[in-house]
Formats: sequence, structure tokens, C-alpha cells
Amino acid sequence: MPLPLYYFLSITAVNILMSWALYLPYRMAHLHFLVVANMAISGYTAAFMVLSLQLPFWLALLTGFLLGAIIGFVVAQFIGDAPTFAVVIVGFTFIYITRTVIENTEAVGGTMGLFGLPNIGGDPAVHRWTILAILYGLVLLVGFLIHRFDHSQLGRSASAAFIDRDLTTSLGIDIKKLGILLQTFSCMLAGGCGVLYGFIYKSFHLDYFTFHVVGILMTIIFVGGYKTLWGTVLAAPILYGGPLLFPPEIASWRIVIYGALLIFVLVLKPEGFITTRFVYRVEALLSRKGTKQSLSTNSQEDV
Amino acid sequence: MEVFIAQVINGISLGSIYVLLVTGFNLLLLVAMIIHFAYPQVVVLSMYIIWLVLGYTGNNLIIGALAGVASSILLNLISAPLFQKVMEKRGEVDINSTMVVSMGMGMIITDVLSHGFNKGHPIAFPDTLAGGDAIVRVGLISILPGQVYAFGVGVVAVSAFFWLLYKTRPGRAFRAIAEDPSGARLVGIPLLKTGLQSYALSGVLGGLIALLLAALLGSASSALGEQVAIKVIAVSIIAGLGNLIGGLVVGLSLGIVEAVVQGYISGTWSNVIAFVIMLVVILAKPNGLFGLKI
Repeated sequence: MPLPLYYFLSITAVNILMSWALYLPYRMAHLHFLVVANMAISGYTAAFMVLSLQLPFWLALLTGFLLGAIIGFVVAQFIGDAPTFAVVIVGFTFIYITRTVIENTEAVGGTMGLFGLPNIGGDPAVHRWTILAILYGLVLLVGFLIHRFDHSQLGRSASAAFIDRDLTTSLGIDIKKLGILLQTFSCMLAGGCGVLYGFIYKSFHLDYFTFHVVGILMTIIFVGGYKTLWGTVLAAPILYGGPLLFPPEIASWRIVIYGALLIFVLVLKPEGFITTRFVYRVEALLSRKGTKQSLSTNSQEDV
Repeated sequence: MEVFIAQVINGISLGSIYVLLVTGFNLLLLVAMIIHFAYPQVVVLSMYIIWLVLGYTGNNLIIGALAGVASSILLNLISAPLFQKVMEKRGEVDINSTMVVSMGMGMIITDVLSHGFNKGHPIAFPDTLAGGDAIVRVGLISILPGQVYAFGVGVVAVSAFFWLLYKTRPGRAFRAIAEDPSGARLVGIPLLKTGLQSYALSGVLGGLIALLLAALLGSASSALGEQVAIKVIAVSIIAGLGNLIGGLVVGLSLGIVEAVVQGYISGTWSNVIAFVIMLVVILAKPNGLFGLKI
């Protein structure tokens, strides 16, 4: 597989997963940027385990997921039902603290970063296919789980909490528990993504875990559509891949383009390009087609 | 002890700027009903405009200061229709959406500053802006003109703002909208006009802050806006969103704590300690120490 294609596919998958990590808590209006800090914490921890302690990749990956979940769970005890702006600022503060701690810790490479992560399975081709298999396996699994969540009572509770928390509480829904659940899951996912991200490039550098990442993820969610998981699937490859096709002098302004797009969409199309109504229509169309097909198959069998 | 006193003096001047920033931020929150996350970025952009104008005019401070204030007012007024449009589309006051729009603005401003000015390098202001040598120097303790300006202008600006808010007719309109927008509309207060006035007023404050920050820090970089933005919103949350008195107390306290920590711990760690303190308070009291006012 050509390297540019590999990088495009793998980073797109990471962006989809990370955007979903942000999408889930936002179902109840929590913009949980702690996921970006978690990505860095788990990623660097896993890299340290592999490089310094010579532990296997799979154990490091598992640790990444677990560490993310633990941090998410602990923080969620305090902000599980906090107002949106408090959740936002906790996330930003964590990013800043994490970056500074890593910058000043020589054991994880400080400002230079960590290099020389080994190939999974020894061979570079095996490494790439393994990474892609894990990432797209995760995309399918997490996508399925989120789809089930969106169509469940919990998903409806989150939608209700997004609109009116007081009313949701009066209906007997425990908003804090719901917040803890969503924040823990999204942080766990971000932890795993952090480890995988490092193994894609076989190195870690703090330049990735900046406020720019927050901007890119926010643009993916809000431009794609923040009320359905499909918006992210559409927006992630376009928004990441689009600037790669631009000439370098335009591509270097991609953050400005993302910012302008984010504002443009929020002003003109607040729900994003893929709306819930659009998804319901497609689902209805598909189910009608499915019904027609099964009816015609049955009638043929009858004949 | 000398270090402590010197750092408290530094902290008071830094805290005065935080107070001004939080006041401008809270004004927009209470009257225009937006969380203007990019307000500190607007301030930093104004610092860059001041730097640019100083360069072109041979360090003419008056023109530089006027350009800073004008650019801040203009940027705030330009962003007003965007926020209004978002709220119109939603058919309700939605401060979360305005916060995301504002974050988008912040992304644009930060990237423009990191590409479009001084080839992305940090900028340095002329010494004349800081006012030259120390006014008072006793051992380690020194009082610089920049610190005096920051504190003096901070006190005057905040006093004038509170006078405007509590003693004048437009101030009553601001408070009425902050208290009950529907009620304010019923008694004939023009929401749009008053909202625009709040954008302009916070723009004036923003320009002043840009000037004071330039005098106090002597330099600026594109990343400054993000760092200050986090602090300002953290201060605002710790105080209780929209709580003007709380913002005054917490802003000043943060400036002093930050400066004192910097006196004893070197490098970037001192900033981390300030952030950790803010984080602990926010985690313990997400609705603020002085209570929400929105």
C-alpha cells in the first residue's frame, strides 16, 4: 500500500474515532476536550512502556484504553453534570497542564518527543495492515455501539438533557450518571486513539496535541452534523483529505479555512450537513426498499 | 520577603488586567448573551495592530493606542451580526453555540497572527511603551511605569464601568437585559441597540487591555491569546459566570497568586500551578464561588 494512502486512511480513522469521542458527551451538551489531553497522556504512557520497559504493543494499547477510562471516570465524578462552559474549560486546562508536564519530563522526551517506536509484527507492511485493521475494526465496533446508543432509551435521555436538563431530571433521569458514562467511554476511546496515533507515525511529538486539534475535531463534528454519528464519517475524510490536495501555500492556512467553515456552517446550517431528518429519510428509504425486496422475494418464492 | 513583596506588586498589575478582561467578557455575557471565548484573542490581535501602527508611525504612542482601541471596537462590532444570526437561527438564546462560533473566530485570529505578522515570530514592543526605567527601586522591589499604568488604568476603567452600570441610564438598560431580556423588551429597552453598545464598550475595554498588556509584557505571540482565553474563562467560571464583583476579586487574586508562584518556581511550571489551582476550584465548584448571574 502506498504510504500517503496509508497515512490518509489511518489518520482519517483516528479523526473519526476522536470526533466520536467528542460527539458522545456532546449528546448532552458537554464539549469534553479532556479527550485530547487523554490522547496525549495514554499515548505517551504507552510509548514509554514499549520503548523503556520493552513491554508488548498489545499490553500498551490495553493500558492506553484503561488509563483513558480511569482519568475520564475520575474527572467525570466532578463534572458529570456540570454546565457546558465548565466542562470546556476543564478540558482546555487539562490540555495545557498535560503539555507542560510532558514538555518538562525528560523520561518521555520533553520537547523533542519520543522516536523509534517498533513495528508491530516486525515487518513494516504487517505493521501498517495491523494498524489499519485495528483502527477500522474500532470504527465499526464504536460506530455500531453509538448507533445502538442513539436508538436507545439512554440516547433519548441524552437528547432530552441536551435540550432541558431540569425537565430531564424531573423525568427521573440521573444526568450525572449519564454524564459519567458518556465521558468515561469517550475518554477510554481517546486513550486508545492516542496509542494508535503514536504507532501510525512511530513517534510522538507534542505539536499534535495542541488547540489546533481541538479546532479540527470541532469542525468535523459541527460541519458534518453534531446530532448524528454519520456527519463525522462524512466530514472527517473530506476535511482532513481536502487540504492535502491544495497547493502548499493554501494548505498552510487550513486552520483559517476550518475556522471560517465552522462559523459559516453554524450561522447558516446550525445542525451541520448531515441532519437527523436526513438520516431518518435515508433509513426510511432503505427500510422501504428492504421491505419491497423481501416482499418481491417472498412473492417469487410463492410463485 | 523582598521577593514576595516584589511579586505581589507584579501580581496586582497583572491582576488588574485580568479584572479588565473578565469585566469585558462578563459584559458581553450578560448583555449580548454570548460566551465570547475569542475575546482575549481579539485583544491580542489589537496588540499586533498597535505594534504594526507603532512601526509605521515611528513609535507614535497616541496613534498606536487609538489604532488598538479602534481595531478592538471594530472586531467586536463585526462579530456581533454573526452571534445574532446564530441565535436567530436557533430561535432562542443559545450561549453554547455562540461559544463554538467564538472558538472558530479564535482559531482564525490565532492562525492569522502565526502566519501573517512578523513571519510568525513573536513581536516586541518599543521600550517607550513600557515607560522606561523603574519609578521606585528598593532592593529587589521595583515599581515599573508599565505596572503603574496597568493598575491605574485598571482601577479607573473598572470604576468608570461600574459607575456606568449602576449610575447611568444605559447602565440600567444593560442590567435590565442581564436580569430579564423579555421584561426589558416589554418596558421599551431596544435589545439590539443595547447589545451593540455592549459590543462597542467591551471593544473599548479590549483596546485598553491590549495597550496595557503591551506595556506590561513588552512582547506578544500568537499563542498568548489562547493562554489568556483559558485564564479569563477560568476566572469567570471560578467567580461565577456573569458575576462582576466575583470577577474583580478572583481576577486580582489570580494575578497575585500567579506572580507569587513565578517568584519561587521557575519556567513554565509556575503557569501549571496556576492552572492546577484553577482546575481544582472548577472541579470542586463548577458553578463558581460567588454564584452564577446568568
